[in-house]
Amino acid sequence: MKIAYSHLVTHIKENPSIEEVSNSLFQLGHEHEVDGNIFDMEFTPNRGDCLSINGLLRDLAVFYSVELSHEIYTDKIDKLSLDFENLSESICPQIAFLKLEIEQVPKVYKDSLDKYFSDFHLNKNNFFTDVSNYLSYETGQPTHCYDAAKMSGKLLFHEIEKNVEFETLLDKKITLTGKNAVFSLNQDIINLAGIVGGKDTSCSTDTKTVIIECAFFQPEAIIGKSVKYDIQSEASHKFERSVDPECHDKVLRRFIKLVSQHTSIKEMSIISYKYKNNPVHKLPVNIQKINKIIGTNITEKKYLEYLSTLGFEIEEDLIKVPSFRSDIATQNDLAEEVARVVGYDNIPTSEISIPRNEKTNHKDFENKIRFFLLDHGFYEVINTPFVSLPAKEAIKVDNPLDSNREYLRTNITNSLIDNLLFNERRQKDSIKLFEISDVYSSGKDIKKVRNLSIIASGRLGENYKDFSKKINKKYLIKLFQKILPNEALDFKIVSRELLDTKIKNEIVALELDINSLSSEVLSYKEESQLPESYAQYSPISDLPSSFKDISYSIKDYSKTQELQDLLLNYKSDIVKNVYIFDYFINEKKEEIKIGFRFTFQSKKTTLNSAEIEFVYNDIVKKSLSINGVLIPGL
Amino acid sequence: MSVKKDIPPPVLIKDRGALHPINHMKDSIMEQLSSFGFEIVDGPEIETEVFNFDMLNIKKSHPARQMHDTFYIENKSNLLRTHTSPVQIRGMLEKKPPLAFISGGKVFRKDDDATHLPMFHQVEGIYVDENVNFSQLKDLIYKIIYSLFGAEIELRFRPSYFPFTEPSAEVDILSKEGKWLEILGCGLVNPVVLENCNIDSNKYSGLAFGLGIERIAMLKHGVTDIREFYKSNLDFLSQFK
Repeated sequence: MKIAYSHLVTHIKENPSIEEVSNSLFQLGHEHEVDGNIFDMEFTPNRGDCLSINGLLRDLAVFYSVELSHEIYTDKIDKLSLDFENLSESICPQIAFLKLEIEQVPKVYKDSLDKYFSDFHLNKNNFFTDVSNYLSYETGQPTHCYDAAKMSGKLLFHEIEKNVEFETLLDKKITLTGKNAVFSLNQDIINLAGIVGGKDTSCSTDTKTVIIECAFFQPEAIIGKSVKYDIQSEASHKFERSVDPECHDKVLRRFIKLVSQHTSIKEMSIISYKYKNNPVHKLPVNIQKINKIIGTNITEKKYLEYLSTLGFEIEEDLIKVPSFRSDIATQNDLAEEVARVVGYDNIPTSEISIPRNEKTNHKDFENKIRFFLLDHGFYEVINTPFVSLPAKEAIKVDNPLDSNREYLRTNITNSLIDNLLFNERRQKDSIKLFEISDVYSSGKDIKKVRNLSIIASGRLGENYKDFSKKINKKYLIKLFQKILPNEALDFKIVSRELLDTKIKNEIVALELDINSLSSEVLSYKEESQLPESYAQYSPISDLPSSFKDISYSIKDYSKTQELQDLLLNYKSDIVKNVYIFDYFINEKKEEIKIGFRFTFQSKKTTLNSAEIEFVYNDIVKKSLSINGVLIPGL
Repeated sequence: MSVKKDIPPPVLIKDRGALHPINHMKDSIMEQLSSFGFEIVDGPEIETEVFNFDMLNIKKSHPARQMHDTFYIENKSNLLRTHTSPVQIRGMLEKKPPLAFISGGKVFRKDDDATHLPMFHQVEGIYVDENVNFSQLKDLIYKIIYSLFGAEIELRFRPSYFPFTEPSAEVDILSKEGKWLEILGCGLVNPVVLENCNIDSNKYSGLAFGLGIERIAMLKHGVTDIREFYKSNLDFLSQFK
């Protein structure tokens, strides 16, 4: 919600700067951004009472001398004769209607009404709707204006449960479904209560006689409706967070005053319905409890002073909660009020001592397996559980994000196959992945299994010993004998036939209940150390990469290290990776054969052959400048 | 040219993998919290409305319970937990105070855009004992933040609202760029929640806190797009060795 600084400060005697007001709002828990002279407020959902100028000023009164001087009409008003029936009193326990007839529709707005529209650069609708909108901003209470000329017949408030078309005053046609609280006129729906009014009875720029509805709706009846029908509604935002049930008379009298400041009122009449009394909450004064909760030493005098400025009434040993504070029910709530006023940052800290927990980490078993996999070049991945295809016993999501995420996965392997193909498409030729996750399936009861899933394909590794060896089932079985010498794990070969790929490398996968593994994993001595500092991420490129191999012949063995130092540390914006893929000492010929693979990729553009050739030539030139280093065939 | 047979072969670079940065961050935080005295507990990702909402004082009318915010499954009989707090409820029902435990794991909300994912990770902690107060909560939060970001970091507490804590706070840290960044939510356990778990709220009080792992991992590693964590791209994952 946007609130203008100038609209607040005009009621504050000390005339604080925008920075001072901003700091005060933060201390009180009212998060916001400052955009010029406008506070873009983000209130917590329990503070519906702050969704207005008056509401914020009530809170700011703990720091400043605030004058809430909005004038209201104070004379007696005739009783309105209205054919109205409320069939859902539990949803709307209180409602009032005001009928006004004016001499002329004003063309020019004055004072606060004018400032509201000019300061926020708002478009005007029609006079009565404009007053209603401003009044909601000023008081926090939404009102709805019906053109009285269109309102003959019986007005009914009720909850319906049927599919019915409704056209809003914003010309949007919606189909009401499920339960909805509505106003009907002669059986036609004219207002989706608390959300948006209907087109048929809306006011126009010519409207001179209006019926203004001012109601309290239970938040439960309003919540979710504006999202459901995709309607931006300031009114529903307020009703969802609860409005002050005791403010109707004052708000409607303020409405009259605002109208009278712009034009002459020919006639006015009002009627209020209150179907039950609003509960009055009273809490005992208990400063010991408050100090115990916060950990402070505040005096009772100061405590009651804080509460009084926030609108609480003190009645001997009881604190009466104001009608607009529906969020206050316990001593903890009052403690938060005090903490806000004191300032959370001003509350001293006191040393906490939590009794030591001597239990071992129950994830030790799982971590042994994770580190074993790390030590052997596997990367841990995390996938979401949502999948499109229903497997047997797959759990269905009632409200999926889309049809591709309608079920919960019953295995991890399929996710890992997707991950593998994703990386193969990015020219990765050595892929080893694993994931450990809970997997759920339905049945009589929901079944949960903690699965370990592994997938691997391609080269064994990016080094001269593993480069020409391919991952296969035999390799993985042998590898796992290091950690589970006495278990025969059921590695499977995943067929590529149905996969969208032309790569032929064997895909080997394993999935099992991790808790079914033998405890002999606990004896594994991990080699990997976790990094001591947090690696700084360098943005990755999704552009195509390509590689070039350079094979050297070195007669003077002592130059081998110099060549390695040069090439393994070669820096270029487009060299992504370099490693030794081949190394061989030919003792007969007295020479070393050493091969380097360079991967080229740009973060900005798709590389053309000339760009790669340019860097390649530089690599060749620099390497051949080392005496005794040759590239056979060059 | 002479041949020197004692020249060593090139160093064989060990082909080492990496933990997922989110799991690594979660584990680091959990380990740090364990050192403060918290016991690690686990709970299911599929929960009931009772544990995920009712017991935590989240009223039927709360927007978080709507179909557009929470994933319900099997004709609304269960849901995907929206936070790790239900684990704390289960823990409080099982054990008697004093108790202190943490839980971490996946949580689910019906969001999917550039800054929100339908699945993300949380770590939450709770400590219930006699005379636990807000100033002790502050002390604990300082310890947690300092352990994560160093003792030089500037932080602030802001009043906030969670149905399961009262008073509630959000904690921001000041970034190098001078911007306040929300880092965790915390508060004193709402007495209603204690009573729901059969804990006498006149005798005991508690503190609770929760951290979003992705947010912290993004800050620590300098990742700017949350979606990168879940693409399983080896170019990304290999940066966290």
